[in-house]
Amino acid sequence: MNRIKVLLENLRRGVVTEQYPFKPIRVPERLRGKPVIDPDKCAGCGACVNACPPNALTMRDDKHSSMRFIVLFIGRCIYCGKCEEACPFGAIRLTREFELAAENREDLYQVVGLRLYHCPLCGEPFTTVRLIKRVVEALPEEQRAAATLCPRCRESVTAHYRSYARR
Amino acid sequence: MRSSGINQVRPRNKYELMIDLRRFGEPRLRGKYLFLSRIKSGRLRDLVDYLHWRLGGYYSTSIGVDERPLDGYFHVYHVFVLEEYGVYVLVDLIADPGHPVVESITPVVPAANWAEREIMDFIGVKFRGHPEPHRLILPDDWPENVYPLRKDYPYDDKLPTSDKIAKLVRESSPATWEPEAHGDHTVIPVGPYHPALHEPEYFELFVEGEKIVDARYKGFMVHRGIEKIAESRLSYNQVSFIAERICGICGFTHSTAYCQAVEEAAGIDVPERAEYIRSILLEIERIHSHFLWMGVAFHLLGYDTGFMIMWRLRESIMDLAEELTGSRKMYGANIVGGIRDKWDIRDDKAALIKRMLDEIREEYLKYIPKIISLEEIKKRTRGVGVLSRSDARKYSVLGPHARASGIKTDVRKYRPYAAYKYVNVEIPVLDDGDIYARMIVRHEEILASIDLIHRLLDNIPKTPLHADTSYIPERRHGIGCTEAPRGEDLHFVITGRDNKLYRWRPRAPTYNNLLSVPAMLREEYLADAPIIIASIDPCFSCTDHVVVVDLRSGRRRPLRTRGVVGGR
Repeated sequence: MNRIKVLLENLRRGVVTEQYPFKPIRVPERLRGKPVIDPDKCAGCGACVNACPPNALTMRDDKHSSMRFIVLFIGRCIYCGKCEEACPFGAIRLTREFELAAENREDLYQVVGLRLYHCPLCGEPFTTVRLIKRVVEALPEEQRAAATLCPRCRESVTAHYRSYARR
Repeated sequence: MRSSGINQVRPRNKYELMIDLRRFGEPRLRGKYLFLSRIKSGRLRDLVDYLHWRLGGYYSTSIGVDERPLDGYFHVYHVFVLEEYGVYVLVDLIADPGHPVVESITPVVPAANWAEREIMDFIGVKFRGHPEPHRLILPDDWPENVYPLRKDYPYDDKLPTSDKIAKLVRESSPATWEPEAHGDHTVIPVGPYHPALHEPEYFELFVEGEKIVDARYKGFMVHRGIEKIAESRLSYNQVSFIAERICGICGFTHSTAYCQAVEEAAGIDVPERAEYIRSILLEIERIHSHFLWMGVAFHLLGYDTGFMIMWRLRESIMDLAEELTGSRKMYGANIVGGIRDKWDIRDDKAALIKRMLDEIREEYLKYIPKIISLEEIKKRTRGVGVLSRSDARKYSVLGPHARASGIKTDVRKYRPYAAYKYVNVEIPVLDDGDIYARMIVRHEEILASIDLIHRLLDNIPKTPLHADTSYIPERRHGIGCTEAPRGEDLHFVITGRDNKLYRWRPRAPTYNNLLSVPAMLREEYLADAPIIIASIDPCFSCTDHVVVVDLRSGRRRPLRTRGVVGGR
């Protein structure tokens, strides 16, 4: 008897499966899908690289071409969204795109290249041009000169000034 | 049984307990943790007997730590949970690095079998008097004297495979996996990859006609060494994501337990709102897990209509989780100190959860009374796979499995964490110990969880979502416990420097529950084996170990693979 009741309940319910690959499916508002870097906003600071738990984001400096590359490999991504939280410029964000199957491994990479900035004193590259521009713009006038130097040169130069200032 | 000593008066609170335990060693009380170090020689087994069998505590797990860089010794911590006193007793044994041997407690508490062998594999501390001191986790071709969780072993090391080992591995095709001779019984191998199993595991069932006389289990096919990665490479807040990926069903409970362990160690107070959100998500996870189990159980009983119904209901719960967190699983909400900002449950979401839960409950109640009163379901599950209360104590089983065997245990009730401190949790306890009882316990828990979420949503306070975690002191021990859908989930941490853990050990509930499976299979029909194994809701990837139990004599033997094992 119970078996028939269950059957009747099921019949009343009707079809519950969805026609997904043939018809679009509803995507929830908070879905964390494919991460995308906006190359116009990214300054190559590397905050996302530090935050990324599975090393899906990596950073590489190429001295020959004087470029810094931020490499995002979606094959390793766990869609936690830590990069989005960490990014100070809002350059990386998780979209709601979830159909990520690709025919080539290369399709799973996104590479952002940024020009490296060389220290005007020692000539060593230490950050990107875009980042130094943003830092300089945010600083008050008198601190700008020191900010354009690499950490080591800045240390020696400011130490020099400070030792005079004390006298 | 040994005498418990001169003092026969039962201690009344944790302070008296501390004084009482002075006759075994040097106790030190820090909050919920009662460390007991410098155990007097020859008194360890008396102590364990006293804690586990007389004081009503239960053995939870053992952790081996290589603390040579800190104080020059290997440490072994046996964790006993004494719910009555509200403390964890950590029996702290030290082993000399030159000759790392400590006394085994397995003869007194059989539940310690696997944990001790795991320490032998990973840390290289030997246990004197262990009934089967054989390899448990590491593969058979792993070289001798290489212990991966020692601090001097680099996490990215490629193991130097000698030619001999390589040759042995080449020769060991699956065909040489020959079961040990076992009288005239027929051997039925199930696994490691089998269409009926959802995770890689390997069972050998020995049958006489239709009756099972012996069973073996070999696991550890999916051990990935995440503890080593966490200790070597990941920062505190990154570990919670790898912890979540321990389990594909109850991941959130793992990340919560991990975060709680670090919060305990560092003394971080989690804001109330974060606690409520954690509890709500944990209950959603419990409901989905129980629906999943019900479906699998009906499927194994041959009632696929029930399977379809349960999984359809589960789909609504998954939609709910997706609405709240953006994912069906892997909510990604936990960080040390609270919940991430985007995972806040706003009022509109709260109303949505309530509406959806009411629909699910109504739908569930339409079906379930009819299904569980079906004659064929009752016949297949009543009196099958019985685990008596005493056996349940012996193997320290946990969660719904223990509650179906008449043991009143629930972390939410007796050691409340997160928002369970503020609400009353009802726990169903049945005495029958059979599969039907386990089903009813889970059924009641689904309804209780739905009520609980309603109550939590009504009282959710307005506070920040996470605490300041900029300072985490070094060398602090912490234990985080949650009631996972399958039982107590325990994470043990020791904090380290450079924003990294010194030691992290998760212990999933199936680790304890699986030990009781051979006892349940004894003298049952072969056709009932799948549902008996599934009735503990096993989660092999969480657990992954090996054990062999001779059911007739209760004797344990190692599982050997002929031709593969070189010089054990």
